[in-house]
Amino acid sequence: MIFAVLVPLLIACFIPALSKLKEKIHTGIFVFFVPFIIFLYFVQFVGSDFSPILEQYSWIPSLGINFDFYLDGLSLLFVLLISGIGTLVVLYSIYYLDKSERLGHFYVYLLMFMSAMLGVVLSDNLFVLYTFWELTSISSFLLIGYWHFKERSRYGALKSMLITVLGGLSMLGGFILLYVVTGTTSIQQMINQVDVILSSNYLPLILGFILLGAFTKSAQFPFHIWLPDAMEAPTPVSAYLHSATMVKAGIFLVARFSPIFSSYEWFFIIVSVAGIITLCWGSYMSVRQTDLKAILAFSTISQLGMIMAMLGFGTTAAVFAAVFHILNHATFKGSLFMVAGIVDHETGTRDIRKLGGLATFMPITATLAIFATFSMAGVPLPFLNGFYSKELFFEASIHLEDPSFWSQAIPYLAVLGSIFTFVYSMYFFFGTFTGKKNLGQLPKKPHEAPFGMLVSPILLVLGVILIGLFPNMVNAPFLQHAAEAINSNAEFHKVKFWHGWNSPALWMSLIVVALGATLFLTRSKWQGVYRLLPGKVSFNKVYDAIVANVDTVSQAITKYYMTGSLKTYMSLILGTTLIVSFVFMFISDGFAINTNQLADISFIEIAVVMVMIAAAIGTIYMNHNVAAVLVLGVVGFGVAILFVIYRAPDIALTQLVIETVSVALFLLCFYHLPKLRKSTDSAKTKAMNAIISIGFGTLITLVAISAHSSRWFESISDYFVENSYKLGGGDNIVNVILVDMRGLDTLFEIAVLGIAALAIVGLIKNKNNKGAE
Amino acid sequence: MEIITSILAGVLFATAIYNILQKQLLRIVIGTALLSHGAHILILTMGRLKTGQPPVLTEGISDYTDPLPQALILTSIVISFGVTSLLLVLAYRTTKENNTDNMEQLRGNENE
Amino acid sequence: MSNLAVLPIIIPLISAIILIFFNQKVRVSRALTKLFSLISLATAGYITWHVFDKGTIVMETGDWMAPYGIILVMDGLAAVLVLTTNLIATACAFYAPHAELDKRENFYFYPFFFFLITGVSGAFTTGDLFNLFVFFEVLLMASYGLIVLGGGKVQLRESLKYLLINLFSSMLFVTAIAFLYSVVGTVNMAQIAQRVQEVDQQGILTTIGILLFFVFATKAALFPLYYWLPKSYIVPNPVISALFGALLTKVGIYSILRVFSLIFIHKTELTHEMFLWIAGLSMIFGVIGALSTSNIKLIIAYNIIPAIGFIILGIGLLNPDGISGTIYYLINDMIIKSALFLLVGVIAYVAGTSDLRKMGGLIHHYPMLGWLLFISALVLAGLPPFSGFIGKLLLLKGAFEQGEIAIAIVGLITSLLILYSVIKIFINGFWGDKETMGDIPKKSTKGLLGPIVILLAISVLLGVGAEFFYPSIESISTYLLDPEIYIDSVLKE
Repeated sequence: MIFAVLVPLLIACFIPALSKLKEKIHTGIFVFFVPFIIFLYFVQFVGSDFSPILEQYSWIPSLGINFDFYLDGLSLLFVLLISGIGTLVVLYSIYYLDKSERLGHFYVYLLMFMSAMLGVVLSDNLFVLYTFWELTSISSFLLIGYWHFKERSRYGALKSMLITVLGGLSMLGGFILLYVVTGTTSIQQMINQVDVILSSNYLPLILGFILLGAFTKSAQFPFHIWLPDAMEAPTPVSAYLHSATMVKAGIFLVARFSPIFSSYEWFFIIVSVAGIITLCWGSYMSVRQTDLKAILAFSTISQLGMIMAMLGFGTTAAVFAAVFHILNHATFKGSLFMVAGIVDHETGTRDIRKLGGLATFMPITATLAIFATFSMAGVPLPFLNGFYSKELFFEASIHLEDPSFWSQAIPYLAVLGSIFTFVYSMYFFFGTFTGKKNLGQLPKKPHEAPFGMLVSPILLVLGVILIGLFPNMVNAPFLQHAAEAINSNAEFHKVKFWHGWNSPALWMSLIVVALGATLFLTRSKWQGVYRLLPGKVSFNKVYDAIVANVDTVSQAITKYYMTGSLKTYMSLILGTTLIVSFVFMFISDGFAINTNQLADISFIEIAVVMVMIAAAIGTIYMNHNVAAVLVLGVVGFGVAILFVIYRAPDIALTQLVIETVSVALFLLCFYHLPKLRKSTDSAKTKAMNAIISIGFGTLITLVAISAHSSRWFESISDYFVENSYKLGGGDNIVNVILVDMRGLDTLFEIAVLGIAALAIVGLIKNKNNKGAE
Repeated sequence: MEIITSILAGVLFATAIYNILQKQLLRIVIGTALLSHGAHILILTMGRLKTGQPPVLTEGISDYTDPLPQALILTSIVISFGVTSLLLVLAYRTTKENNTDNMEQLRGNENE
Repeated sequence: MSNLAVLPIIIPLISAIILIFFNQKVRVSRALTKLFSLISLATAGYITWHVFDKGTIVMETGDWMAPYGIILVMDGLAAVLVLTTNLIATACAFYAPHAELDKRENFYFYPFFFFLITGVSGAFTTGDLFNLFVFFEVLLMASYGLIVLGGGKVQLRESLKYLLINLFSSMLFVTAIAFLYSVVGTVNMAQIAQRVQEVDQQGILTTIGILLFFVFATKAALFPLYYWLPKSYIVPNPVISALFGALLTKVGIYSILRVFSLIFIHKTELTHEMFLWIAGLSMIFGVIGALSTSNIKLIIAYNIIPAIGFIILGIGLLNPDGISGTIYYLINDMIIKSALFLLVGVIAYVAGTSDLRKMGGLIHHYPMLGWLLFISALVLAGLPPFSGFIGKLLLLKGAFEQGEIAIAIVGLITSLLILYSVIKIFINGFWGDKETMGDIPKKSTKGLLGPIVILLAISVLLGVGAEFFYPSIESISTYLLDPEIYIDSVLKE
């Protein structure tokens, strides 16, 4: 299995080289064999005697991240969809994409996606699943942005990425929580620990996180907005990623986790309600679209909602209907996308208002479309697979286990959504292939597509009919296992076309057809309803507003404090330090004062200190350069005097020397700088500055007193006194410390001086260079 | 006495910060100089004041002032000197280059 | 063999001094820089191997026993950080000659470069708090030297702010050391830790710890102290931005990690709880900053802040997963940030502007550059299987284990916004019509992309090959969470 997952990625590495040959051989021909062989490989597992297979390869075992591939009925269904539809899509793309396109890029992304999607459905390991999950988002991003010179493509790509990655990250959050709660990263092992998960306090959070991931990926209301914009991708991509496979990843995730959450009531409520709303909204909105692919996009949203709702119902019948519909939807929707692509390719437009009467020009395409749309609409005919799953859906919606208010409403909503499904299906077919011909408005003269392009949709429509004729052919060997993987009680359901007149589902279907047909025929009369709902409310606008606001609000916030003003920065830094330090001093009971060990006070010291304080304050009020330097010098020399008094001859000397040089430097520099001016700050600013500076001074004083009063340990200095001569060979202890015990400090202190000198030279030389230029 | 020097250090910090919060570059430079004085006074105070003789070994004396803080101050003084000189040159160059010594006019704007 | 610990400090120091004499000979300087950086890298590699094979190297400089002399402690954390530093330095050394540095190279660019490495390596290795201050000054002084290179109007202005803010925080650092010395009577970190533990970090000690935290937080650019960073980091050329972005803030965060996993760990309900808040706010405000601008260099510079937020998250959690995550994320971020700064440097160079609004369609001319940026964006956002993911996974797991749900959610949302902020460069700068930027002259990116590719490759390797690296990181984490090991290895031998 690991080969099946990694082969597309490996082949992708050779595509850039192979695409050089594209003038001779279309790159797609090489790619075609990849999904085809994978399909053949997996098809051998289909059979009544299938039992799940687990293959394990370690990757990062220390973190529980391993390639554990688990093939059960559910993943088998998806794997066959991915490889099967993949094969047809690649075949289709060979005719759809011209050799002048950047085929190399296209197929690399497509193969990357194929690997990723296979990985998602086969991984048993949470984090490997997540890895592949994000890879599908990324490849989808690149494919939507394939024609990135178009503004809409870039917009759609970004939108899909933001929404699906948001969901992905949320899902990651849920996965990590599951890992923390259960201590395992294997989904199958978690299923054995359902009790632990269900009794965890984090359960609502886990469910919410994971469902957000599933709903964004599967375009559930209100996260569906990215899917219509994803239609900017080339049509084969829409058929493949955005209808048959990637958007079903969310469905897969919900199905995969059903055994864990199914006995949690909120799971039922959230999933089925979200699904039903999505079903109704998607089909309702689909009728309003004018772009063929947009109709299909909203249709996909609606159908995904329907599958999601069935998973939410969770009954054995509903689960079976869900997996059945996953398969059916892939067949008819895949072919419809290809039909839309053919129409676009051969007429140059997808605008349904310009199209019409194409059946005469494209009889084969029209025939395909009629089967697919009628199947999608759920028209009760025994050779359309869509009808069977739709009827099972109705059946399931009236037999819910939980008799709450919602479950009462669900059958009605199901019918409502299906009515609109019927309307847009008819709209799609009749709007495109029958009615008035508008040849003048078409960019190209329409004609039937080349045979190669028709092969894939023909095969898919054959699937529609075959499954319709022999629904039980795929059930027993195949779908049954998928349903069992979701709900272990699932029983084999023999699907029948006719259940008798007293079957309520039949009546529901008939209501759908009758009302749907009426609404379709009278649609010009009630189109005004869209002005009321959604009217001006649009989730796209919400998204756009969020994105726009992210930019403007972040600019506003950032501009507010990133003023470029040193004073603002310093005030904020000082203010924070000040407040937090005071708070900490208070809550940790930090202040202490102890007057026992203080040195005595002499008059001279007091005098020096007083002069220094006066001078320091004086610097604020000095408005003359030289005076300011002199006052500053007074402080400096005061420090030196204090050093002398406190028996620190070495530093006193150093201080004197440095102070003298500094004063000279200051004078030199001040000579060149503009004269000191009186402060022009407002009284308020001055007060603020004063508060900050006095506050900080107080903080320093208080901490100093406390630190001095909390001398709990003897200093290590005694050692220096004892060993200065013995080991260091010097009488002057400070010198011995500097050059010997802490020689490293001194070495780098000199280095600092050296670097400073270099920097100064650099600054000055730089100026000279400037002058020369 | 340590309390008094602590207060002195506090005053030096406060005046330093007040100067740093001014607009004119000169005042800011003065502020930084005051700041290092305050810090050095503090280091000395924290090593306790006047507990003995200057830390130069002399016959018959066993009580010396704590030598370690003095060593640290020495290192710190030299480093401060280096930084201050660089600051002075940089201040000078910035003023010449931008034709102002007012920090509020040295804010700059977005996207330069 | 304990002298090994000093080599990562001495080799760059000697290199810097030698290069001063070749200042005017640019070609010789370049060749020597490459050579020296490779020697230093090899040494760091050997030391790392040695540390993980034989254990922490404790070096008593001048043979003065701890705690009296200055101790260099090359433990696992120091070793991997020194190794990463040298890796980045080597990449920069090979990139620099091709960047448009000609006007700057002979203003002692290369000596400053090595002085910076000296200071950074020293800060990672020293076991003495005051010595840490000295190394901070070395690296700051070298950074002042680098940041003023070229000396345009804007550059001087931002340099001045950068210098002043750092000067203030340095003075506060010295002051805090003095306070601490008064209480515990020593500047040796192991002994400080031992003594703080003895008195259970009572009284004023927590406040002193907070002062130290603010000193480091200013350098680490944590909320709300990062104002100086964005603009001063984008002013200089890409090599300098890369060095700053990758190393300077990381020294600050390293110091927080060291001090708050070794010394101030007895009042975690106060200190470390606050770190979690700061982590969340740094993420939010940092990424908001990144979203607020269309200057590609600023986008990357702002992105430093949420990354630091992630890193301090693990320190705040102070549990095994949190600390492992912090270290993993730290290493990842050093590498990817330097790669990104170098990358946007190339982009700004070929596009002739760093304003995103004026760019478009670059992928037609520079496909390689575009894809490197794309991958970098994924790495930065922490998507699997890249290295950012491993760090993020551990951090989030650590947060959930401790019931810190809110911060984990902030982290997840931040990841999305980080991705958005950088992918914007890809979408707006690289996608689009071939002719968007008109006839821009095709510029050669020869020699510029190689170092970036290497850095990215390492980043990918750290993610995909996590099984090889993670056990070492985990052992560092275990080691950090048990300060006794550090104290014993320094004080009792």
